[in-house]
Amino acid sequence: MKIGIAGVGFMGTTHAEGWAETGAEIAAIVAETEEEAKPLAAKYGVSIYNDFTSMLPDVDVVDICTPTHLHYEMVMEAAAARKDVVCEKPLARTVDQAQEMVTACQEAGVKLLVAHVLRFFPEYALAQAAVADGQIGKPGVVRLSRGSYRPKKPVGNWFLDEGKSGGILMDLMIHDFDYARWIAGDVESVYAKRISATNPDAPVDYGLAILKHKSGTLSHIAGAWAYPPPAFRTHIEIAGDAGLIEFESDTTAPIQYLLLKTAGEDSPDVALPSSPVSESPYVTQIKEFYWTLLEGRPTRITALDGMAAVQIAQAAIESANTGGVVELGSLPEVRS
Amino acid sequence: MRIGIMSFAHHHAEAYIRILSTIPDVELIGVSDDDHQRGRSIAQENVVPYFFYEDLLYSKPDGVIICSENSKHRLMAEMAADAKVNVLCEKPLATSVSDARAVVTACERAGVLLMTAFPMRFSAPLLEVKARIDEGDFGQVYCFKATNQGELPGKHREWFVDKELAGGGALMDHTVHLVDIMRWYLNSEVHEVYAQTNQIFHADEVDVETGGLELITFQNGTFATIDASWSRPPYWPTWGGLTFEMVTERGAVVLDAFRQNLTVYSHAWQRANFIYWGSDSNQAMLNEFVTAIREDRSPAVTGWDGYRAVEVTIAAYESAESGLPVRLEG
Repeated sequence: MKIGIAGVGFMGTTHAEGWAETGAEIAAIVAETEEEAKPLAAKYGVSIYNDFTSMLPDVDVVDICTPTHLHYEMVMEAAAARKDVVCEKPLARTVDQAQEMVTACQEAGVKLLVAHVLRFFPEYALAQAAVADGQIGKPGVVRLSRGSYRPKKPVGNWFLDEGKSGGILMDLMIHDFDYARWIAGDVESVYAKRISATNPDAPVDYGLAILKHKSGTLSHIAGAWAYPPPAFRTHIEIAGDAGLIEFESDTTAPIQYLLLKTAGEDSPDVALPSSPVSESPYVTQIKEFYWTLLEGRPTRITALDGMAAVQIAQAAIESANTGGVVELGSLPEVRS
Repeated sequence: MRIGIMSFAHHHAEAYIRILSTIPDVELIGVSDDDHQRGRSIAQENVVPYFFYEDLLYSKPDGVIICSENSKHRLMAEMAADAKVNVLCEKPLATSVSDARAVVTACERAGVLLMTAFPMRFSAPLLEVKARIDEGDFGQVYCFKATNQGELPGKHREWFVDKELAGGGALMDHTVHLVDIMRWYLNSEVHEVYAQTNQIFHADEVDVETGGLELITFQNGTFATIDASWSRPPYWPTWGGLTFEMVTERGAVVLDAFRQNLTVYSHAWQRANFIYWGSDSNQAMLNEFVTAIREDRSPAVTGWDGYRAVEVTIAAYESAESGLPVRLEG
């Protein structure tokens, strides 16, 4: 199985590490500039392609790790070329695009695997399994939060460009929108606010959303680009009618580094607590996708899940922009 | 300083008896209750005289603390105001906006002091953050993610989960503290409220909402979520808690008001228990009540503060009913 990776940023690099642990061959890499692609190409001994189109004939699967606003065209092109697709989250910048992409892949008979990696994090996967197993009864209120600093990029910071990334509600909080839906089912309505909607010049951004699920469960989703680097914190609280699950990244990290600075060393004063696992969730995800692609084994995320997550995030953006509650229609019918 | 207590419906009343006994020059002259059996027994335990309400007020205390069921606050406050007695009233001040207004008006007309029992105004951690906001340490405050979650309070007193007596469920119980804190922090009034409720926790045991999330917007643009749910299981290490993350120009401030605990594992409980060692904000609140009476000045938390919090809570119920954000007038 020949993999072509589009995009060599953090995600492209991380996915490559995953593919390297499967039976697949990383066969092609395409980036905005050849210069960017060189380190990764050298590491895996892979050819660099000038553009996405010219890469397609030489691969079986494309792994799209480009900025969000580029997903649509690449997935459409891959489907037209009858190539299976792995696509970073968010699947698309808009739900209309997502729907076209899902339909195109179905009609072409190719797989569309959306890399919602959160579902592969052991703590998140375990909490979902515990809920599915009935350990805490029916969820009443689900609280999910995730926070760090504003995304940094040396050049071309598309994360901060609303048109490209969708901002904090789409880029960051879609992780937890998808997870909330995995836990409590389809979402009926969304009400959300974010700092940047009313304070575009604020040095921080923060989003808050209340989801009402069709099951009656309520979800509270918070996302922060507001902390000083290197802070990164996540939190899960799922309260059910027969129990409660709680996870806090800060307090469950098994290692805290309280190290003295060595002379002349330019390291952060406060190191991140470390929570190492034997296999990175990104690798777990790529391995699961590999077996799905190779043998059709089941995977925990469908293309429709990816589309539904975009729908929730888009509703949250609309709510934050208009100040109104956004009811979610049924997702457009997609032939299965 | 002579203080009386009206009703033992709220379990805080017993804590107030203990606290009053520690304040210099304060005498608990007596207690009264709707439930004479309960009232007499608590009076006996604490060696204080037991009265009918009228007789307690006729004894001319300097102030009374009203610890009745929420829906009876108005009646009790009006009785006290008629007797020209200063009032400290448990929260929420009332279960409707009109009742809350009546309480405030009655006390204003009678010229008596009215304080709402918002102990969090006196919480040491919350006071520190308030002082730093006022110093300008954080710059602009953009939003809060707040929780005031608890266990089902019915285990303390049945009426807490009775719609008529309590005025509602989790929203009525847990909205007012955080609304009051944020109004205090921001010096701004609530402009709009959105709320969603459900009844999944304890669905078969009670007939009120047990889950509730709110997203409120202040006139100055600050927005905040409040989780008011009775979502803590009965075997949680403590009753619940109050937390917030406050997002500002300088980053975030994460506060857990009841974090100052020992974690105690005992054979007797067969589970972990949080034993609180932080400062007692009820003590500071009662100190403020008696000091305000003594100095004949307005207390740090007024009847209007109680009124405003009720107004927001009622708007939250309207929103939960309609599914739409509700704007407050004025």
